[in-house]
Amino acid sequence: MSSITSLKYFETTGKITHLFIQFTQACFSRPFYLNRLLEQIVRLGIGSISISLVIGIMTGMVMTLQFGYGLEKFGGTLYVPAIVSMSLMRELAPIFTSLLIAGRVGSGISAEIGAMNVTQQIDALRALGTSPIRVLVVPRVLATMISLPLLAMLSGFSGILGGLFIAQTEFNIPPGFYLNKVFSSLSYGDVFGSMFKCAFFALIITLFACYKGFQTKEGTKGVGNTTIWVVVNASIVILISDFFLSKLLILLF
Amino acid sequence: MMKKILELKDIKKKFQNKDVHKGISFSLFKGETVGLLGYSGAGKSVLLRSIIGLEEIDSGQILYNDQKIDHLDENELNKIRQRISYSFQSGALFDSMNVFENIAFPLFEHTILSEHEIDLKVSQVLNLIGLKDAKELMPSDLSGGMQKRVGLARAMILDPEIILYDEPTAGLDPVNIEIILNIMQNFKKRGFSGIFVTHDIPAAKKVCDRLLILKDGKIHFDGSPNDFDKSQDEYIRTFSMSC
Ligand SMILES: Nc1ncnc2c1ncn2[C@@H]1O[C@H](COP(=O)(O)OP(=O)(O)OP(=O)(O)O)[C@@H](O)[C@H]1O
Ligand SMILES: [Mg+2]
Repeated sequence: MSSITSLKYFETTGKITHLFIQFTQACFSRPFYLNRLLEQIVRLGIGSISISLVIGIMTGMVMTLQFGYGLEKFGGTLYVPAIVSMSLMRELAPIFTSLLIAGRVGSGISAEIGAMNVTQQIDALRALGTSPIRVLVVPRVLATMISLPLLAMLSGFSGILGGLFIAQTEFNIPPGFYLNKVFSSLSYGDVFGSMFKCAFFALIITLFACYKGFQTKEGTKGVGNTTIWVVVNASIVILISDFFLSKLLILLF
Repeated sequence: MMKKILELKDIKKKFQNKDVHKGISFSLFKGETVGLLGYSGAGKSVLLRSIIGLEEIDSGQILYNDQKIDHLDENELNKIRQRISYSFQSGALFDSMNVFENIAFPLFEHTILSEHEIDLKVSQVLNLIGLKDAKELMPSDLSGGMQKRVGLARAMILDPEIILYDEPTAGLDPVNIEIILNIMQNFKKRGFSGIFVTHDIPAAKKVCDRLLILKDGKIHFDGSPNDFDKSQDEYIRTFSMSC
């Protein structure tokens, strides 16, 4: 039983790696579909702005509240801006945004490609002499790799502003002081490191979604199972790889 | 002697432990339309899909203009697929695109025609299949017969040398069937070839120069419609009664 499971695990890893190689090859050879890429950036990226803002603002506010009251006991409210902004920009905004995108974009892509597969539209693309990798995978993966880092930063900065609001209203920390502390504690390394992590998470989400979409077989039920598989597995891999990527980034910067 | 455009040699194909094809051989000549008949599940669709590499055959050879086309890589297959096109049994239209975009898709992909030229060409084809008012409609707004006609138009738009028709008339009313058979005959008149998979023997006799019968994974019969009618073979007699 367990040997079968681990065999399956290696098989899946191999197939996703193969898809990644095909994706890379398609990225560096003609034809390119710029209009399809832009279409996906609008759909997947711009369409996710509002939820990224909500995540960011709410996380920033609640973090400020928690740290504020926690540190108040020790007279440490002064450290709130630095702690909130660092944890937001380094971890919370990238991870929360990525998990949400795994849900929204990952399930969307896998359901779309899965449904196309069961209705033979993927076969039709191939039969018409085009590559589903170029037409479907490349625009979606690249669009998400471009959008997710930007969304996470948007989320992070809106969180800092949410924190600013709570810091002032609840703890009487003046906005000038708050922002000053934020900018002196954040480095470019924090920002670019997080964007790098998010680009990697975007790759995970979209490759998983495309891979599972192409594997979808048994009709409508298959499409449902596909989306579940993608959201669960992409989320787990994001959380695990986040630890190692963070370790790596701390060593580098 | 006519030119062999497509040749299948001893094709074998197995799914898990089900033998679908156990050695299929036949040739298609230039300008000829061949009918491929057989009961449901005989492996007709799988055979057409194998020809354009949507399924990988286990053994045997497929030759197109004397060039081996089985087991090519996707890039090379994609060139062949512009010359041999497949019209799907289900239509397989792209449901996120309207009728115009579906038919124009191969033109945008494989030609350098301007948008105006593409527009013109698609309009001509839409006229031909009697759907000039359906240009803006989405596939979900079309009837089954209309979907099949659009699928056929999409398969023809690049002027391929061979079209593989997978039951283009199944489930249609007599008027629609007549339209589709006319389109096929027109295509044939221009000197192109086709393989016509169908359960409709009268329709096959009408457009085909030759009929093939697929039985138990092999070609059981290969001959003209006339030979088919005269055949004393028991299987063929029951087959022609039952369809
Ligand atoms: N991907 C697949 N995996 C397993 N078995 C398959 C697959 N595709 C087809 N088959 C099997 O191969 C056999 C032939 O199928 P095919 O679709 O070619 O039949 P057909 O002759 O086109 O029938 P119909 O007239 O109903 O369209 C069937 O028994 C089918 O179950
Ligand atoms: Mg079939």
